[in-house]
Amino acid sequence: MTQEKSGALDSRDAAQAADLLVTVATTLNERLAVTADELARSQAMLREASEELMTAFRGAADRIVAAQRASSAALPEKAAEYGVVLDHLYGAVQHLQSHDLVNQLIEAQKLRVDKMREKLGEALSLATPPIAHPGATQQWIERSRQMLDCIVAGIKQIDEDMHTPGKDKKHAGSVDLF
Amino acid sequence: MKTILAVDDSATMREMVAFVLESAGYRVIEAEDGAQGLDRATATACDLVITDQNMPNMDGLTLVRSLRELRDYKSVPILLLTTESSDTMKAQGRAAGATGWLVKPFDPATLLEVVQKVLR
Repeated sequence: MTQEKSGALDSRDAAQAADLLVTVATTLNERLAVTADELARSQAMLREASEELMTAFRGAADRIVAAQRASSAALPEKAAEYGVVLDHLYGAVQHLQSHDLVNQLIEAQKLRVDKMREKLGEALSLATPPIAHPGATQQWIERSRQMLDCIVAGIKQIDEDMHTPGKDKKHAGSVDLF
Repeated sequence: MKTILAVDDSATMREMVAFVLESAGYRVIEAEDGAQGLDRATATACDLVITDQNMPNMDGLTLVRSLRELRDYKSVPILLLTTESSDTMKAQGRAAGATGWLVKPFDPATLLEVVQKVLR
């Protein structure tokens, strides 16, 4: 009798634990959907700003290169002045590249979030079929284990697949000639 | 005028490289990935190739290996310009036949120095 009562309590606990896991996975998936949306918006804003900057940069760059070529022989003093402007544009070049690198980082994070959402979706699908014997503790434990295994395997796979660019900032701008 | 092939799937990066090189008097032709880079290099004799590593269709290391198989590109300098900075990747670049490895974001003055050096 005591054994039966204890068994019933165990299966209720196991069922509650499985439900809790479903709630956590569902909530996490909803939060990740918001994150994915925010990343997409950030990327769109960055792209728009970058396009404007690039248009302005291109206009200035084309004119200065053309002017420098036209004046280099005939007007050496003008060429020197253009050289100073060119140096300023060179300064902009290094920072304009940051847009590209940040865009790659956002893209990598978007992929990571999308894959995590996919894995959480897979884990949640494991909780859909009804338990054949709701009183059987082992079935609830097995379901929870399958869900957790699915999530853990997903995280591991994402870490293996992901390629995040530009992680090593100290090497930025370095040169190796072989 | 020396012709330089700039290969990168990012239009921004290609424009930055082209601007810096053209302002120094080089002629620049561009390609969006390794496969297109190989086509361009075959169609036009280039004095230098600057390529990104991670690109769709064909990556930079595959492009280096493919170019080195062509008679005209046995001794043409090839530079990798990439965010990759691991020693393993650099070793692969060297083994593939690359001349040098530059890590993004690049400094224009440094890029010009390297270009002048490898073209000498």
